[in-house]
Amino acid sequence: MTNLNVVGKSVLRQDAYEKVVGGKGFPVNISLPGMLHGKMLRSPYPHARILSIDTSRAEKLPGVKAVMTPKDVPQIIFNPIFFMPADSMAIHRDMLILSDTVRFAGQPVAAVAATTVAIAEQALSLIDVEYEELPAVFDPEDAMKEGAPEIHAGVKNNIRATPSFGAGDVEQGFKEADYVFEGTYETQRVHTCYMEPRVCVSDTDSSGHVTIYSSIAHLFGLRERLAYALGLPVSKVTAIQAPYTGGSFGSKLDLAYIEALSALLSAKTKKPVRLEHTRYEDFICNARHPMKVYLKTGVKKDGTITARYASTLCDTSAYSAHGPEVIMVHAYFGLMLGYRAPHTKWEGTVVYTNNMPGGAFRGYGAPQAAFAVESQIDEICEKLGFDPIEFRLKNTPRQGDPHPFNPEWKLGGYALDQCLTKGAERMGWSNRAKAGSASGTKKRGIGMAAHPIWVSGCVGFPDIYEHSGAIIRLNVDGTAYLSSATMDIGSGQNTTLCQIAAEELGLKFESVRMAPGNTDNLPFDAPTHASRVTYSSGNAVKVAAADAKKNLLEVAAIVMEANAADLEVRDGMITVKGAPAKAMSVADVVKRAESPFMVVGAQGPTPTTLKEKGTIMGISSVAPPANASPAVAEFVEVEVDTETGQVKVLRAVYAHDLGRVVNPAAAQGQVEGGLQQGIGYALMEQMLFDPETGACLTSDFLDYKMPTAVEMPSKIECIFIESNEPTGPYGAKSLSEACLIVPAPAIANAIYNAIGVRFHSLPITPEKILAALGKL
Amino acid sequence: MKQLIALEVNGDMHEIAVEADATLLSVLRDNLGLIGTKRGCDSGGCGCCTVHIDGKAMYSCMMYALSAQGRKITTIEGLGSAEKLDPVQDAFVKEGAVQCGYCTCGMIMTAKQLLHDNPHPVEEAIRHGIAGNLCRCTGYHKIVEAIKTAAGN
Repeated sequence: MTNLNVVGKSVLRQDAYEKVVGGKGFPVNISLPGMLHGKMLRSPYPHARILSIDTSRAEKLPGVKAVMTPKDVPQIIFNPIFFMPADSMAIHRDMLILSDTVRFAGQPVAAVAATTVAIAEQALSLIDVEYEELPAVFDPEDAMKEGAPEIHAGVKNNIRATPSFGAGDVEQGFKEADYVFEGTYETQRVHTCYMEPRVCVSDTDSSGHVTIYSSIAHLFGLRERLAYALGLPVSKVTAIQAPYTGGSFGSKLDLAYIEALSALLSAKTKKPVRLEHTRYEDFICNARHPMKVYLKTGVKKDGTITARYASTLCDTSAYSAHGPEVIMVHAYFGLMLGYRAPHTKWEGTVVYTNNMPGGAFRGYGAPQAAFAVESQIDEICEKLGFDPIEFRLKNTPRQGDPHPFNPEWKLGGYALDQCLTKGAERMGWSNRAKAGSASGTKKRGIGMAAHPIWVSGCVGFPDIYEHSGAIIRLNVDGTAYLSSATMDIGSGQNTTLCQIAAEELGLKFESVRMAPGNTDNLPFDAPTHASRVTYSSGNAVKVAAADAKKNLLEVAAIVMEANAADLEVRDGMITVKGAPAKAMSVADVVKRAESPFMVVGAQGPTPTTLKEKGTIMGISSVAPPANASPAVAEFVEVEVDTETGQVKVLRAVYAHDLGRVVNPAAAQGQVEGGLQQGIGYALMEQMLFDPETGACLTSDFLDYKMPTAVEMPSKIECIFIESNEPTGPYGAKSLSEACLIVPAPAIANAIYNAIGVRFHSLPITPEKILAALGKL
Repeated sequence: MKQLIALEVNGDMHEIAVEADATLLSVLRDNLGLIGTKRGCDSGGCGCCTVHIDGKAMYSCMMYALSAQGRKITTIEGLGSAEKLDPVQDAFVKEGAVQCGYCTCGMIMTAKQLLHDNPHPVEEAIRHGIAGNLCRCTGYHKIVEAIKTAAGN
């Protein structure tokens, strides 16, 4: 794999040129002739029954074209998440587009379409809703108590699900341990804070066919879930792919109220209808689930883990949505599979409350788990005198071991051990001072955390979509169009997928362009989630490109009077192996294939044969063969100001095993962004709610604080370890999530190293630090 | 009740009928089709809507269109074109400072003014200078590098 021309190069993103001069392609810019503007009326109460809705005053307002209430929408119960089939037995369906029962403050109860946004907003104030307030509960532990308000009929104690699993005999495992450690670790509700608001435009034609433009992260998921919620066959919905969207980080992986309501308002008015979230609406549409994890670990004197028990309480909020899924990913991949333990047991509880809906967020349950696991390892090492690197090396799976999720597979490329050792060396880990030994008021400390991702490609998971598809078409100018239904939410995957296509086709990077499509003309692709696109969609692109190349060389063989097997393509030129003088450009071969019956060249008209006619293209629809597993170790240095409680991250070193780096600059960008979200999670971000009304108090960027450039360290170092995954395209695995999973425990461990105080709940705010130091 | 106003944007004069409470952001986007200026929060919290008013970077969501009369407004469309990028735009592309790109135009407008006021800023000055613009993709690292490159540092 040393002879790569395009893969492994930091080529510039194709979309960057467009984005720096304005970025026309964002879904927020979609505008159609005659388009109306929709707005949603939202409940001020966290739990209520709607007794009546009077829309007569709103309907009379000039410019109002339609008003919708629960009686006007299909009463089809659905679950909004995209990555499983709408009718899957594995998900809980408990939502309606508009319901006469409100379960969180801000739930939509009615919607309006009008000629302008201002008229739509005015119309909302003219809708009279009579509510019967019901008692609400916001704390998941209170929600489980006898006598707590019933949020969904028939769900006893508001417990939605109680999944569990284990291996071996956990009691026996703890008996075999010389030491047992236990602790409880709590994490908060945080928001993804994508910058482009959720937005959509629906256009329903006279036959009832819905065409929708939206800022989502799964094109086919939108088609399927929208069709399900509306009671339509999927063939009656077309989802149009935007060339790029303004961030998602997981948040745009489920059907939003706006998408369903815009389709219905469009059907009613026979006009295109646009809905765009305000930032407040974005904040309350989904967030990372807060979790409370109890973790117990048995360890032998030599540092071998004998047993692990964990339990997790997850607030799934007003609706199931992602809750029952996120807790499984959290438990398997976050809590229990990262280190070898012969005896394990885990028990989870998913609870309804009257809080805003939980959603997907980069890491999907793993950050909550890693905070517990990686903090506790630090506690074990501190107590027993182990070096945290050595302890992890002793207990981590190695390349060639059975895959923790499916022992039928082996860990093909897996180098967490190298991540640990190389990262430690770069950080200067051996010079780390003893915890709490720093002097002065500003104390520095070093900490680390490690994590594998087991879901890069979700093959083998019940009911989770994984297959990907791609279409490659060659043009007469020697370029190629790549089409794939995967959504580029900002990571630059369109560029990396074009690199994979160019490499396989033998073209220059500049010769391959991503051509957007829609659900009518693209093969299915699973969501942009689970660190999967480079690996899974990349595999599909490589297969399609190989198919196109095979067809290209078959035509070239006829024209060049050679055997296809003897031909090779590089930088857009086809040559006969060993006879480089005999060459023909890809453009000339494609021209020949696309030409009418004669080709006029220097020698005059030449007849072409039927055998060499037709568009040269390749197509694929494939699932990856395994779950390739990226891994990361992160090291951070922090400075804790013991007078103010402020923590500054001074330096971060990441060592990632990502199989192969397709685009080093893009990969570094992913890691740097993951660190920003991780620092926010560790130190400052937290959604807050009025304890009486459940209203969100942090629904704009003035109240919800995320790191700015000032809070970020100037030193972010990336080490990429190329373990060459045998099942990945050119050896690549994926990257996206691991870099956000590790910062919170790494920072917590560094804070411990600096001041000798352990924190078991996030975020670690100045208040908590000063209180722990006895200064508050 | 709409009022007829004249706005000078990127050197062109526009006569537009606007409501008294229309923000400059909404007029730029919805009336003039200048969609490079983005709405991120409508509350002065994110910086996606940053434009130049008389050469000073400002949040266009926090200014009424009426207040912008008689002032020179520059949006990203007035900075450079795909054929001839402004050096700051060029540096953002070359340094990989663009990911999802939704914050990018506002960030470039802020960076442009930062470099106008301080042509050779130290890193700390860059970080403080762009602290009013949020980005959720990049961790700001390559944005800071791009501004250094544009400054010729």
